[in-house]
Amino acid sequence: MRYNPVTPVNIEELKQILGEKNVFSDEEKMEAYSHDETNKQEYGHMPEVVVTPTTTAEIAQIVKLANNRLIPITPRGAGSGLSGGAIPIFGGIVLSIEKMNKVLDIDYGNMTLTAEAGIVTNDINALIKDQGLFYAGYPMSLETCYLGGNIAENAGGGKAVKYGVTGRYIMGLELVTPKGEIVQLGGKLTKDVTGYDLKQLIVGSEGTLGIVTSATIKLTGLPTAKSNLLVLYKTPKDAIDTVPVIMSRGTIPTSIEFMDKLSVQTSCDYLNESLPYQEAGAMLLIEVDGINQEQVELSAEGIGDLCMENGAIEVYVADNYTTQERIWNVRRNIAEAFKVVSPVQSLEDIVVPIAAIPDIIPELEQISEKYDIKIPCYGHAGDGNLHATLVKNPEHSMEHWREIEPQALRELYAVTKRLGGKISGEHGIGLKRKKYMLENMDPVELDLMKLIKKAWDPNNIMNPGKIFDLETRGSI
Amino acid sequence: MDIIIPIKQVPETSNVKMDKETGTMIREGVVSVINPLDLYAIETGIQLKEKFGGKVTVCTMGPQSAAKALKEAIAMGCDEGILISDRKFAGADTWATSYTISEAIKQLGSYDLIITGERATDGDTGQVGPGIAAWLGLPLATYVSKISDVTQESIIVERLVEDGYQILQMPLPALLTVVKEVSNPRLPTLRGKKKARAYEIQVMNAADLQLNEACIGLKGSPTRVIKIGYPKVTRSGKIVKASGDTGLNDAVDALLQFLEEKELI
Amino acid sequence: MSHVWTIAEQSKGKLRAVSFELLSRGRKLADKMGTKLCAVLLGANVSDESLQELIYRGADEVYFVDDHRLENFVVETYSNVLSDLIRQYKPHTILAAATSSGRTLMPHVAIQVTTGLTADCTELDIEEETNHLLQTRPAIGGNIMATIKTPNHSPQMATVRPKSSRPLALERTRQGKITRLALKEELLDPRVQVIGYREDTEEFANIEEAEVVVAGGKGMKKAENFTLLRELASHFNGVLGASRDAVDRGWLPYPHQVGLSGKTISPKLYICAGVSGSIQHLAGIKTSEYIVAINQDPDANIFRLADFGIVGNLFEVIPLINAKLAARKQKEGE
Repeated sequence: MRYNPVTPVNIEELKQILGEKNVFSDEEKMEAYSHDETNKQEYGHMPEVVVTPTTTAEIAQIVKLANNRLIPITPRGAGSGLSGGAIPIFGGIVLSIEKMNKVLDIDYGNMTLTAEAGIVTNDINALIKDQGLFYAGYPMSLETCYLGGNIAENAGGGKAVKYGVTGRYIMGLELVTPKGEIVQLGGKLTKDVTGYDLKQLIVGSEGTLGIVTSATIKLTGLPTAKSNLLVLYKTPKDAIDTVPVIMSRGTIPTSIEFMDKLSVQTSCDYLNESLPYQEAGAMLLIEVDGINQEQVELSAEGIGDLCMENGAIEVYVADNYTTQERIWNVRRNIAEAFKVVSPVQSLEDIVVPIAAIPDIIPELEQISEKYDIKIPCYGHAGDGNLHATLVKNPEHSMEHWREIEPQALRELYAVTKRLGGKISGEHGIGLKRKKYMLENMDPVELDLMKLIKKAWDPNNIMNPGKIFDLETRGSI
Repeated sequence: MDIIIPIKQVPETSNVKMDKETGTMIREGVVSVINPLDLYAIETGIQLKEKFGGKVTVCTMGPQSAAKALKEAIAMGCDEGILISDRKFAGADTWATSYTISEAIKQLGSYDLIITGERATDGDTGQVGPGIAAWLGLPLATYVSKISDVTQESIIVERLVEDGYQILQMPLPALLTVVKEVSNPRLPTLRGKKKARAYEIQVMNAADLQLNEACIGLKGSPTRVIKIGYPKVTRSGKIVKASGDTGLNDAVDALLQFLEEKELI
Repeated sequence: MSHVWTIAEQSKGKLRAVSFELLSRGRKLADKMGTKLCAVLLGANVSDESLQELIYRGADEVYFVDDHRLENFVVETYSNVLSDLIRQYKPHTILAAATSSGRTLMPHVAIQVTTGLTADCTELDIEEETNHLLQTRPAIGGNIMATIKTPNHSPQMATVRPKSSRPLALERTRQGKITRLALKEELLDPRVQVIGYREDTEEFANIEEAEVVVAGGKGMKKAENFTLLRELASHFNGVLGASRDAVDRGWLPYPHQVGLSGKTISPKLYICAGVSGSIQHLAGIKTSEYIVAINQDPDANIFRLADFGIVGNLFEVIPLINAKLAARKQKEGE
């Protein structure tokens, strides 16, 4: 079974709903909607039409139309995804929520904020900062990403150790279902067992179960003080062994980032930074936050002592902006630094139980040796989420890379699975990891997921071809 | 080798946001840090100490809260911290500041070298370093990018000038102002932080220094700020988009036309 | 009425361009007060022709302290000599260049003769009633313009950025007096010796005195890519600059750094590519006459300050500009 193409008549119908300026189909303008942050050549696909609705009612009408005409519809946030989730692989309609960015309600009594899904996550924090509040569920690309995209991917990031991921902060949602109905899920309730928790099902569903049009999020007190430690270890094992020690003794850091020697060296070379990394086999970057600088510094020092007692070679302290920027710059520029070494790479985000991190390092080294590629390993040690990135050897041909990339990925995922991990911790499956998920998932679990999808979206028009393929319409 | 490093605490400005209307910085919530250009002086001082022994004393003129900057320097590896602080110092220009700091340095006993940063990122004058040298009658090398040789009596340095590097030899004690090329500042260690926490900063006020009251603070400053203006710094220039082959070509042509109109090509 | 002085600069006996820029500033002030403008020069082996040019470019008098021991700038001796001249002639105002020597010499002199000094002035004027020098300079990263004066001390002293004013046209009919002075032995400070000089690579960045600066930022991705900008700069006889990010990454050495933690510049034309425009960078280029920016990100801060901006991929835009400029040149040559 195939989808219907978008006809000039459909475009007219869409214009009737949205007005002339919110519907466009010229190639040049649509190009930006044909890809996300994954490789455009490899994964990009042009839509047939792009719509930018401004109300939930309009979205419901568009979805009804798409469902009736059997036209696929791909919801889109800021396009900063790393799994190809917003790419319209069957063409059809791309529905961008970019014009829905209003704050609908700030409820200080309940410490919640309700906003449309197209709001830039960072703007939320700018808005409530003066009230001493913040939204803690944000991921790393906070300058650009939208709340709606964060919900679709259940975005995490560097501060998940203390603050958890997006899902923890989602109290209520407004959703347009794949049939075009509007439904409110959850609300402002801390406890709610009134039936299935459907809003949490939507969180992380990658836009396959409907379009989130607005959300009510939980706000937290804004931490105003922070201190960082850069801890040097002889081996990755020494570094990782410290993590549970830190976690069990009181202060929970905001982040515990791990960087192996290769990552640190490459980033430092790129930045021309001279961190004392020569003898260190791995580093931890630990951040503590709070509201009292004195207290935060003492807590950080306490953690620093624990590190020294547990085999650290040296602990550096950064408790002002200048020094904090210096060390975070090294962590933030790892990906960029490897892009300069070799622009072709596969950015992964495997997740393993924290204690398994040391075990995965030698495995990565083996894969790296076998395929003669570099695999730097860095990421969020505090939650086991690692960016083990496959970097193409600049001396290899593209043909060779295309041949070995899936093999190396398969081995990486196999090791991950063996150690009790999963293939994606925060980027999502989308298009990019679909086949690998299929290979690594319990068939029963996969079946349950497919049954849910079929029940919600019988015509499979809502972001089809993402996470998994259905055997009927929309398989490739 | 005993070294004195005068530093300044400045507002941290590299992550401040810009006012979209005027293009000026939003100063709300800006924190204070060691003048970034002073970090090179501190690192240079610590490296010399590590090589030749002796001690590094860091000093600053400022409010009580500037003690934090001194502690940060101690955490990096400096040995002593002197806070030159008095209400009477408020409003000092570079003349009065260099007088006050040089008088404080006279109280510190003998030393071999004074090192300062090239200038502070807030005042941006670079006048206090040379001023101290003048007050103390010390040989001075500004814009030092490299210390080539040090002996008991003399030092050889390279100073960055407009078209190269001037190489100077001078006897000690001397005063150097250093630029970024001279060193790469280290991070404070946990041990350093603990030492700094326990360290008690020595405070010197106007009375301790027996200063000439006519030479300090606003009263002792030859210069006066008489007017403050807030210029709007944004320019509403022409911005073109270079997307697609024709867009790219058109954009570059428009640029050349602009340059031609302004007689720049 | 006491005079207005400008401190001329020489290198290896040749006058530096900034000497003439200072004269054009000084001329306005002297005319406003109805007094003489004098250029003061310390050095050796300076030709009569060069000294005469100071007259042709606006000076009424030239004081040249001529001694082989003044060939190189050494602050102690220079400061002694200038302070001695000040005590002797009591000038009303002294303007010096905000160069490595001017910025070193003037604060030293300010202490010796007990007067104020204002750095990096962008505007200078004379207060009508008092004849005080009104010195306006950007402060706090160019966020405020402060007007400063020295009410109770003399002389009034300021440094001025190179390239912030144009020299006056050469006027060969101008008459003036040239006085050669000998170095008084007691003013010589023998402690500091210039024992060498190291010229840097051919592309040494005298970005403060260049008419055109072409700068690259983080968006240049790596050091090798600066070849593109080098070529672009060559079309304008310009020099290369770099943002702090680029210098921190070691793509260009520190003398090229533009911005608050590098150099503040006022060229006629500033072109930058892959520079996002931090507050600190913008503060360093605000006084440029024309600013052209090329950046991928349409929201980049740099565009707020640009007179002309291109939103696009610099690796496509710059080669095309280079090609078109080269084609123009060839056409002109034909």
